[in-house]
Amino acid sequence: MNHKLWFLTKMSLNKKIKTKWFLIANLIFLILIVGLINIDSIIRAFGGEFNETKEVLVIDNLNIFDEFKLNYLNNTKYISDYDEIEVIKYTKTYDEATKEVEEDNKILLVIEPDNTNYFHAKLISKDEVGTITSTIIATTLNAIRSKIVLNEYNITNEMYSNINTPVELETVILNKDNIEDGMMISSIMQIVTLPIFMLIIFLVQMIGAEVNEEKTTKSMEIIISNVSPKTHFISKIIAANTFVIIQGLLLILYIAIGIGLRLVLNNGNLIGELDSEIIPIINTINLNSIAKSIVIVVPIIIVMFLLTFIAYSLLAGILASMTTNIEDYQQLQTPIIIISLAGYYLSMASGMFKGSLFIRIMSYIPFISSLLTPTLFVIGEISIFDLIISIALLIITIFLLIKYGLKIYKTGILNYSGTGLWKKMFKAIKEK
Amino acid sequence: MLIVKNATKKYGNLVAVDNLSFEVENGQIFGLLGLNGAGKTTTFRMILGLIDDFEGEILIDGEHINYKISDQIGFLTEERSLLTKLTVLDQVIYYGVLKSLNEKEIEKRLDYWLERFGISEYKHKKIKELSKGNQQKIQFITAIIHEPKLLILDEPFSGLDPINVELFKEVILEMKAKGTSIIFSSHRMEHVELFCEKLVVLVKGKNVLQGKLSDIKKNYKKKNLIIKGDINIPELKKAKGVEKITKNNDEYIISITDDSYVNSLFKLISKYDNILKFSVEDPSLNEIFISIVGDNYES
Repeated sequence: MNHKLWFLTKMSLNKKIKTKWFLIANLIFLILIVGLINIDSIIRAFGGEFNETKEVLVIDNLNIFDEFKLNYLNNTKYISDYDEIEVIKYTKTYDEATKEVEEDNKILLVIEPDNTNYFHAKLISKDEVGTITSTIIATTLNAIRSKIVLNEYNITNEMYSNINTPVELETVILNKDNIEDGMMISSIMQIVTLPIFMLIIFLVQMIGAEVNEEKTTKSMEIIISNVSPKTHFISKIIAANTFVIIQGLLLILYIAIGIGLRLVLNNGNLIGELDSEIIPIINTINLNSIAKSIVIVVPIIIVMFLLTFIAYSLLAGILASMTTNIEDYQQLQTPIIIISLAGYYLSMASGMFKGSLFIRIMSYIPFISSLLTPTLFVIGEISIFDLIISIALLIITIFLLIKYGLKIYKTGILNYSGTGLWKKMFKAIKEK
Repeated sequence: MLIVKNATKKYGNLVAVDNLSFEVENGQIFGLLGLNGAGKTTTFRMILGLIDDFEGEILIDGEHINYKISDQIGFLTEERSLLTKLTVLDQVIYYGVLKSLNEKEIEKRLDYWLERFGISEYKHKKIKELSKGNQQKIQFITAIIHEPKLLILDEPFSGLDPINVELFKEVILEMKAKGTSIIFSSHRMEHVELFCEKLVVLVKGKNVLQGKLSDIKKNYKKKNLIIKGDINIPELKKAKGVEKITKNNDEYIISITDDSYVNSLFKLISKYDNILKFSVEDPSLNEIFISIVGDNYES
């Protein structure tokens, strides 16, 4: 019987993997994931400018261009690729300059003397100037103005430094485990839970399609006359979960390929040109104690996800056995998808509603818990004890699904009539 | 050898099979007949072990059905029970392994059967790409690939052209000769007549006719008189025992309600001129079936 179980599992898995759709879907995943990870390089390859790589024309009516250029380059030298921006002193008229801005997509900086604020600057561009460029220009101009002011009032650099040195404010946080930024971490957790949510949808649809195919073609009668419904059911669960794990590992592989390519394209710099957005996030993560939590969370998350896959596949298999065609199953699977969707959205919202009792209660509910609990745990909303309760409830659910679901499955797979369906299923549950 | 003893299966208040008993010996072809919904499928399901909550007993070679014995059963369903996305090879391997054969042996046997049925070129084609008749051949192969001791054939000739029907017949008779017990179910009575030595007719789950085909025909009182010549139809229609008169080319078929009327009708017909043929024939199984099932169905 074991041989037949493994054979059924192998057949079921082959039916999912040895298809052109699996290949096509994975090719799309590979392209999408690698593409998203290297989006800046792709934009650049197609002639687009991910960052400001334009010429900055400067009309200088204050004679501070040399100092401006020196400061500007100084400010940009630590930012990769910013040396590509050329700062040029413009000597023609303002109208000619604006024409060049219009036609060649350059940036024009006009520096004018000002009686009250020493000088006044205007930045002219065809489209919106990127945050980094405008920030650097503003910083550079501020530095020049500061120098002018210091000179005017005979303030030495030392005096200026003393004025500007901030008061030292030492922060002591007693509950170090909860110092994470909830919103930021829940956003990161969404990236982790999204593929899981997708895999759950795959799983539910896959089991339903397969059981229905065997039912509608009546091949179920041939199969069940040779193996027990229990063996058949277990083979479907093993095959579907193995498929999901393989697919999950492939997604991880695609991410690794994407990161590898990114390192190659950015000369070993993982952040590349996305520094202004990513560095603060990474700094936050490194500064906080997530790294420490991850060591505990990752194995728990993996266990929860695996248990969730099993629970969803059991539920999907049981429901599929009760339906007589794929249309019926599509209707029946909608509540399952809504439940998992609720889990995903609650996970997204958990960062916004810290301390919500409702979300905490929801985290215990099987089918939702796996998508919600890891996020809540990471942001410090629940403890390991809560996590263990969620896992225990999930295990109890799996046990009940196996105990009673198997009886439904046994009756359901050979039932071709929708009449009195629920009555038949309840009767099946009561049978010893 | 298959023994079905007092098998009764109820679905709520509905009695799908009512106290059914029959035996199929080794090397025998047994007809299980009935209209749609008569209880044939339920009977097959009980034999296959798909239904276990029934009254009575079903024994194969003296043993109750179990997953070891089910390896000895071949089942050709009325509907196509093939997974259309699989190739012919994968499909046959799928069902063959479920019958405890190893994949190498299955492929070897498949090659033989594909060649015999003249479809070797379809070995790696997907089932859905095959014609209805060729799909039926594959389905038949899946039912016999493991050389079963008991073979259940539900409408085996469905979708086949006359040449392939002959090919199937040949194989079925070969299997019978090898000692396979065969249960044959079909709505085509000429096929049943051709194969089955014994049969049972079900109406609403009840056995209404059972026995050897030759005995059933012999004991069936209604007969057909085949007459060639000039007859007086209005006079014959009024004669006692005449049920109906139909014309088939240049012959008349007079259906009589009881063979005891043969002599009186012979006397009457012999008065007519130019009588070239007078013969008494048993009715076809089709006629018996319609008559028996019709009477019982109405009641």
